[in-house]
Amino acid sequence: MRYDQFTPYDLVLLLQGLGVSLALFVSTTLIGLVIGTLWAVIRFYRVPVLAQMVAFLAELLKNSPVLVQLFLVFFGLPAFLKINVTPTEAAVITLSGNSAAFIYVIAVSAIESVGRDQIEAARVFGLTRWQILRRVIAPQAAAFAIGPLTGLLVNQLQVTSLISVIGVMDLTKVGNILNLRTLKPFVVWTVVGALYYLAAKLVAHAGARFEKRLRAHTAWKGL
Amino acid sequence: MISIAGLRKSFGAAIVLNGIDLEIRQGEVVSVLGSSGSGKSTLIRCINGLEKIDAGKITVDNFDVSKPRELSEARKRSGTVFQLFNLYPHMTAVQNVALAPVEVLKVPRKQAEAEARELLRSVGLSERADAYPAQLSGGQRQRVGICRALAMKPSYLLLDEVTSALDPEMTAEVLSILANLAKGGTTMVFVTHEIEFARSISTRIAFLDKGQMIADLPTKEFFSDKGMALPRVAQFLSKMRKD
Amino acid sequence: MKFDLSILAKHVPFLLEGAWLTFQTCLLAVLGSLILGTLVAAARTSASPQLNRLSAVYVDIFRNIPFIVQLFFFYFGLPEIGIYIDAFTTGVIAMSIAGGAFTSDVIRSGILAIDPGIIEAAQVSGLKKSTIFRKIVMPIALRASVRPLGSVFINLILTSSILSTITLNELTGSAKIVASQTFRPFEVYFVLLVAYAALTWFVSILIGMLHRYLNRNQAEGAV
Ligand SMILES: Nc1ncnc2c1ncn2[C@@H]1O[C@H](COP(=O)(O)OP(=O)(O)OP(=O)(O)O)[C@@H](O)[C@H]1O
Ligand SMILES: [Mg+2]
Repeated sequence: MRYDQFTPYDLVLLLQGLGVSLALFVSTTLIGLVIGTLWAVIRFYRVPVLAQMVAFLAELLKNSPVLVQLFLVFFGLPAFLKINVTPTEAAVITLSGNSAAFIYVIAVSAIESVGRDQIEAARVFGLTRWQILRRVIAPQAAAFAIGPLTGLLVNQLQVTSLISVIGVMDLTKVGNILNLRTLKPFVVWTVVGALYYLAAKLVAHAGARFEKRLRAHTAWKGL
Repeated sequence: MISIAGLRKSFGAAIVLNGIDLEIRQGEVVSVLGSSGSGKSTLIRCINGLEKIDAGKITVDNFDVSKPRELSEARKRSGTVFQLFNLYPHMTAVQNVALAPVEVLKVPRKQAEAEARELLRSVGLSERADAYPAQLSGGQRQRVGICRALAMKPSYLLLDEVTSALDPEMTAEVLSILANLAKGGTTMVFVTHEIEFARSISTRIAFLDKGQMIADLPTKEFFSDKGMALPRVAQFLSKMRKD
Repeated sequence: MKFDLSILAKHVPFLLEGAWLTFQTCLLAVLGSLILGTLVAAARTSASPQLNRLSAVYVDIFRNIPFIVQLFFFYFGLPEIGIYIDAFTTGVIAMSIAGGAFTSDVIRSGILAIDPGIIEAAQVSGLKKSTIFRKIVMPIALRASVRPLGSVFINLILTSSILSTITLNELTGSAKIVASQTFRPFEVYFVLLVAYAALTWFVSILIGMLHRYLNRNQAEGAV
């Protein structure tokens, strides 16, 4: 048996890799969404010290390579804290943190996009800051944020490919394995690239549809 | 000579110019009048080749503007001044004026810039020659625009409402320059809403109405009974005078 | 465990060598991106439908496939077709091609934002198409695009860390070596992360200055 040929099983391998990439993408996006929004709320309440720390951390995460963040978590944390960090854990921590930083920035500008006058008006009605945030700001900010968020997600999907470097069996890692075994780099990386491309288009498409629905919804409410 | 024969131009279904015939000889100042939307700007844009014409023929000194090869020759012979100036924002006044002579006529840069300065001086801009468009007033910008057109030593100057974006004071300063040019024998096709000014400088008036040229008369005749005999002209003039 | 940076002191010269390599790759990649981006932007705004489509496809592909996949495609693929180039050159080429896609998008919107009247003025004064592009369109579009181009280039700096995966010992690659020699990955990657953040912060300040300098004459008002 020759091992440098493609086998039907390679397809399964590729789809498994794609599954790992997508699963990590979805889960870290959700975690990032929660954390990033939380950070934005901290800023909205102008919590002393914490607000500044969050802003600084977001800057740091936005302006450093994800690969380095990944190395810090995967190689650095275990050595420093004497704990065990698996590749998948490192991937989840890093990607979530990185997404959170960018989502924080989008959320902050989305909140700021809601006019001061609306907030003032709501305050006059005696709404608490939390009620204002939930009832007045959140719906509008969400509609504002969905566009930039879609752009971010298309980007973050691609960022997941870096976790292959620390050994997570994602789509890129599968590509690496097939590349080494078959020595047909053009075929392998074209197929891998095409799968990423399709996934990116899917995300962009979903984002656009969601945005349309959300906008239709807010428009209807505005009448 | 600029010669327009049987010109037709439409945008989609809308016919904007329909069967225009017009000849402009050296030394003439032809004012094009007509109400808003009558097709004046489109006429100018057909002459300098910014719009493709649907039928008819336009030649500038016998160069056919619908033929790509001849268009560049035709454009060398006509200069255009725009309503909104359209200066190159990243170039100083001198650079704006000298660009085409250097690039198209291959005049050495030094010489072109010296000539540009001279032109700018002649319109009272010697002090502002090295300023950028954003640093100039509207009237100053339009004077640079005129110099830019003149720098190519065109046989014909095409002007489309060159003062309508200016306040009265700036309008006066630009019009006086144009009056001087007219006196000096520059051939002009002049689209304007400044009726009195048109009357004072033009040799002929062409009147456009809904894409048709319903009058093409010497200035005196246009403003006399002969022009007034045309209901659309009379209507237009009385309306313009009221405003 | 103690956070101790002093042990890194003697590795600073080695890290600086890596930083120098990062600087070189980024500089070349920025130049490459600019050239490619300009050409592609010209194609995308040209009147030819074929050029239009072709350039749009290029941008779409390279914006939607992870950089590491593109990099492996070139790194493993080029030798396959008899092109043997070192990791440095491969990295610069891959970064230029990916960066060119983003750059062309920025330049294209810069071009589309130009007042058509300005182009018409250039046309009627008899300037050739190529002259108009070089002397009018590009200078205006580039001036207006300094900030968004700056963001693309900052991203390129962060992306350059990925070149460490093809054995190029730029800043991240060198740090990996130092981390394994000192057994202090946390300190090493922490410093590295801060260094990248500081670097991009510094570059963004330079970009702001460049923007103000290039547009110093575009503000309304007196000289
Ligand atoms: N690019 C275009 N596409 C479609 N329609 C156009 C275009 N340019 C001009 N038109 C139409 O052609 C008609 C004539 O326009 P034009 O600008 O020539 O009028 P005008 O006489 O210069 O008017 P004004 O005095 O307001 O400047 C108008 O109805 C206008 O809406
Ligand atoms: Mg007009």
